[in-house]
Amino acid sequence: MKISEGKIHVNYNVVELQLDPVIRRRLEALGITEGSRIQILNKKRNGAFIIKTRGTRWAIGKQISEGIICREEKNEKGN
Amino acid sequence: MKKEIKVGFLGNPNCGKTTLFNAFTGAKLKVANWPGVTVEKKEGEAKYKDWTIKLIDLPGIYSLSSYSIEEKVSRNCILNDEVDVIINVVDAAALERNLYLTLQLLELGKPVVMALNMMDIIEERGMEIDLHRMPEVLGNIPVVPVSARKRTGLDVLLHAVVHHYQEESEEYSLKYSQEIENEISKIKSKLVKFHEDIVNPRWHAIKLLEGDEEVKEKYADILKNDSIIDYEKKIINEKYNYIEDMIQEVLFNKESKSAFTDKVDEVLTHKIWGIPIFLGIMGIVFFLTFFIGDLLKGRVEILIGWFSDFINNYLISIGAANWLKSMIVDGIIAGVGGILTFLPNIFILFLALALLEDSGYMARVAYIMDGIMGKAGLSGKAFLPMVLGFGCSVPAVMATRSLENERDRKKTILLTPFMSCSAKLPIYILFANMFFKEHAMLVAFSLYVWGVVIAVILALIIGKVDKIKNSNTLLIELPEYKQPNVRTIGIYVWNKIEDYLTKAGTTIFIASIIMWFILNFNMNGMTEDVTSSFGAMLGKGFGVILAPAGLGMWQVAVALIAGLSAKEVVVSSFYVLFGIGSVSEAAGYSQLILDLNQIGFGAVNAYSLMIFSLLYTPCIATIATIKKESNSLRYTVGVVLLQLFVAWLISVIFYQTGRILF
Repeated sequence: MKISEGKIHVNYNVVELQLDPVIRRRLEALGITEGSRIQILNKKRNGAFIIKTRGTRWAIGKQISEGIICREEKNEKGN
Repeated sequence: MKKEIKVGFLGNPNCGKTTLFNAFTGAKLKVANWPGVTVEKKEGEAKYKDWTIKLIDLPGIYSLSSYSIEEKVSRNCILNDEVDVIINVVDAAALERNLYLTLQLLELGKPVVMALNMMDIIEERGMEIDLHRMPEVLGNIPVVPVSARKRTGLDVLLHAVVHHYQEESEEYSLKYSQEIENEISKIKSKLVKFHEDIVNPRWHAIKLLEGDEEVKEKYADILKNDSIIDYEKKIINEKYNYIEDMIQEVLFNKESKSAFTDKVDEVLTHKIWGIPIFLGIMGIVFFLTFFIGDLLKGRVEILIGWFSDFINNYLISIGAANWLKSMIVDGIIAGVGGILTFLPNIFILFLALALLEDSGYMARVAYIMDGIMGKAGLSGKAFLPMVLGFGCSVPAVMATRSLENERDRKKTILLTPFMSCSAKLPIYILFANMFFKEHAMLVAFSLYVWGVVIAVILALIIGKVDKIKNSNTLLIELPEYKQPNVRTIGIYVWNKIEDYLTKAGTTIFIASIIMWFILNFNMNGMTEDVTSSFGAMLGKGFGVILAPAGLGMWQVAVALIAGLSAKEVVVSSFYVLFGIGSVSEAAGYSQLILDLNQIGFGAVNAYSLMIFSLLYTPCIATIATIKKESNSLRYTVGVVLLQLFVAWLISVIFYQTGRILF
């Protein structure tokens, strides 16, 4: 699933980044790597999200939120 | 021998580098709580024992890969060997993310000293960092806990810098998996073989493996016969895996009390209430500026009125020549003094903006406005320079450096000057108060709204014309909310007040003298008949173009032309033009209204004038900044012409509609 389809306050693990190489590399350098945990804190109808990963909050636009492929983390809610 | 060390501050955005730099050097560089405040390199000096420490403050970076202009500034400074020691400023409260850059810096092979900032926040949250274990897992680099705000740990940090610089420390760098290490060794031996003088071949080998464009270009011969697979992803993953292990070792009670920011964000970044709350906050900022600022303004007016009378009487008593008395009282005091009366409004405006910037709310605005800006073909991040534009267009235009996309950047530079900067405030206050009385505040606020609306509409039109689909790659860190710091706010506001006073003493001073000169002289020398002066000739010429906007009176045209030097000059010019030497509200204002009415200038004309002032070409300082930032004369001239046209067109629409309606 895409992180853009995710729910607020749920943890996800990144599976793949299907993004333009420049943006992908940038996200990876920020720690949004395969297997890393992302929690959705807030979302807007236009596809912008506030996510938390490795202790930092990020606001991401629609294009990025639709390119982060992830799966829900089992048995854990919130962090 | 001169004992000197060059030290660069490097770290993630918003980790406190500039606060630390200010603490060491006594500088008063702007600090705020959002990523990307520092966009250029600044240098300063500190002393430690008999050492001179040259300090370089750099824009924040998340990694040594460069994407935006500000990041390139930092990377180039470090890679071009401009520093002897790196102070890696680390936000202890976001250790995991900050350590990625630390590991990259260690690979550079330069002495690195870690300044572990924001330890107070760690304590507040009930977290603990093992300061003994930390250096051990980072190749024994000095790790010094500091508080940039409370100015603690500063001497210890300089001591560590000097000590680490002098001692022959062992180079440390992260050990990767066997697969990557084998590749590094292979490339490293090639690099050494073909480039004997290469410094730190291991770092260059890693960068080649990561596919770093600049390094690849420099060492293209290494790649010629051997295409290297892009290992960047693996290298990043291994670094983060190491950091994860490290965090387990050094950080305890992780995130036990960081819920405050999340709770506040649930309200402030709410999907429905986010925008109304933002507008409400801006409304409050404006109300305070207008209402409280005006209360204080009255006092300053009385003071300047008294000063003007005093100087006038003094000049009469010493028998000064009429022209001199006229120049000082009707030119300089009327112009500069008139502008100084707005100081309280300017003070309140910047105080409010400083509080907003230091609280952590600014970065949220990018998220809140992302939807609207997206429709206009820009990311929400482009709204930040526009908010800064409420203060001053010059830093706002510079702040566009943080936008990664050149097209977005040029578009934002074009739109930013449409915001109501502080220099336009005196125009609104003067004309709204004169012509709209009890509705003055509402009228002035409408100008703020029009600025944003017209900028967004223009962005939409440009988006339609250039047809390039918006990529909407909003990506911005949202810092923790915090209580604004008195010192930070003090520096911010004082810098702005200083700028305003400097402008009053230079640009406005000179503009007032020039204005006085062109109004009192013509080809035959000094004249009593203002309608035959140089100023009247100039104004009548331009008045023809401005007439459809209700601004055809020569006096108005002259004031608007003069306003190109600085927008406040529009107001100072009116004072000089109509000889309002005494600016005390009752006498000065009623005299000015009377004079304006006589030349057929009423409320509709006043609103048109405010609209024109809001939109027309920004001051010379902004034009120069646009030229510097875009590095294109063609683009700059294009921006200026477009803004003049937009201002003319919109004010014509307003005036012609207003004339029919009222």
